[in-house]
Amino acid sequence: MDKKKIVITGVGVLASNGVGKEAFWDALEKGRSGIKEVTLFETDFMKTKLAGEIKDFDAKVYLGEKGLRLLDRSTKLVNVAAKLALDDAGFAVTPENTDDVGVVVGTTLGSVWSISEFDKTALREGPRYVNPALFPNTVINSPASQISIRFGIKGFNTTIATGFTSSLDALKYACDFIHLDRAKAVLVGGVEELCLQTYLGFYKLKFLAGAKGNGPELSCPFDKRRNGIVFGEGAALLLIEDSESAKARNAKIYAEVKSIGYAFDPFRIHKYNRRGPGIREAMRLALQEAHIDKERIDYISANANSTKEADLIETEAIKDIFGDSAKKIPVSSIKSHIGETFSVSGGMQLAAGVGSLERQFIPATLNYESKDEHCDLDYVPNQSRKSRLSNLMLNCFGPSGTNNVVVLSKCQN
Amino acid sequence: MVDIRQGVLEIVSTVLEKAPGEISLDAHLVQEVGADSMMALEILAALEKKYRIVIPEEKLIEMTTVNKIIQLTEQSMKGGKKK
Repeated sequence: MDKKKIVITGVGVLASNGVGKEAFWDALEKGRSGIKEVTLFETDFMKTKLAGEIKDFDAKVYLGEKGLRLLDRSTKLVNVAAKLALDDAGFAVTPENTDDVGVVVGTTLGSVWSISEFDKTALREGPRYVNPALFPNTVINSPASQISIRFGIKGFNTTIATGFTSSLDALKYACDFIHLDRAKAVLVGGVEELCLQTYLGFYKLKFLAGAKGNGPELSCPFDKRRNGIVFGEGAALLLIEDSESAKARNAKIYAEVKSIGYAFDPFRIHKYNRRGPGIREAMRLALQEAHIDKERIDYISANANSTKEADLIETEAIKDIFGDSAKKIPVSSIKSHIGETFSVSGGMQLAAGVGSLERQFIPATLNYESKDEHCDLDYVPNQSRKSRLSNLMLNCFGPSGTNNVVVLSKCQN
Repeated sequence: MVDIRQGVLEIVSTVLEKAPGEISLDAHLVQEVGADSMMALEILAALEKKYRIVIPEEKLIEMTTVNKIIQLTEQSMKGGKKK
């Protein structure tokens, strides 16, 4: 049986460098970084001060005055992303189609702030004085559930919490539902919010650039000076549809999800497998399932997050998989613009990838100055590039063993 | 007890996301104003926190109008503040 063709028809993105697809794509094209000093909380006692924070975010502008009072930042961000994606797709959830619409959200840290605040109130003021209406925010599936509640979506609703690859894992899950005929359209992507609790956790783990030694506080993927991530927040949701359904309603089709290669490589907790078998396998599977020659990949949106190991592992894996053509393929990391957005990083790559196909450009790897002799591919340094793009590869992996690679292809409407 | 009436109305209007003027003191909060059980729990917790009182949970079903909530709050305050 032929697999259904799955297409992207709507983009809803909120990132530190731009809210809404046009602002996000403009910033990527012009190289405007969203990484700035944190204003959501004090960083006085930390060496690091930067993050990809969405400044002046006001959900009311997009969602109206009511029903937001109890929602935490993650939930507001992802609900705005849902609204933007549905509006962009011109997709109306109706009593007739609602059972065929699903929601899958990748988030891992999305409830950390709410859990912490709830417990803080209980400890400071006594358990009697916690607000019971804030308890639902403390569960990890709250952001996804609130999307279905707000937009009246009655199909399946799932949260995927697999760390760095959550959004692309969510995409795989969503595509499976469409292939199995259990959904015709799915809002899929991820969300993470910036908060002291999460930032502090990464800081104490020495995972943030500038947190240890004298390394600069900088997101500079593939650069010799790289020494950790700059954390970023945001939400990115895409509306994906069975292409027949999309065509039937005359939707604008941005791109086709050509293939998804997934590989799990359990190695050590929170430690990259230096040999990188997982990312190699995921890239191999993605190419195989896409049925396209590797020479036809026009651009690789890298996972590279400015950590010593991950960027090198990815470079070596690309060289292994693509062989002689590796050095001819532009590879860049949007994490130099928006930071490591963790569970939503794959969602951001999807939203950026759609922009690359739509506007025919490759975002730059910003802050690239000092060449690392082991990282020797074309990283599109500091300046975006106009290019004819038909097929993109999006890489995503993390130190917990999950590896996910997506091939996105341009569609002719 | 005007301040209690104002305080209760403030809590109820915040939870129901309505202006205080929109809520009639004798309107049934569920049937006429759109409250639900989660909102009732939130109102109860907010009253206990604001006035440092304990309202027994079995009284929740009696909290049907703003006036009844005011009465319950006053009774609880007369019953002694929680230490």
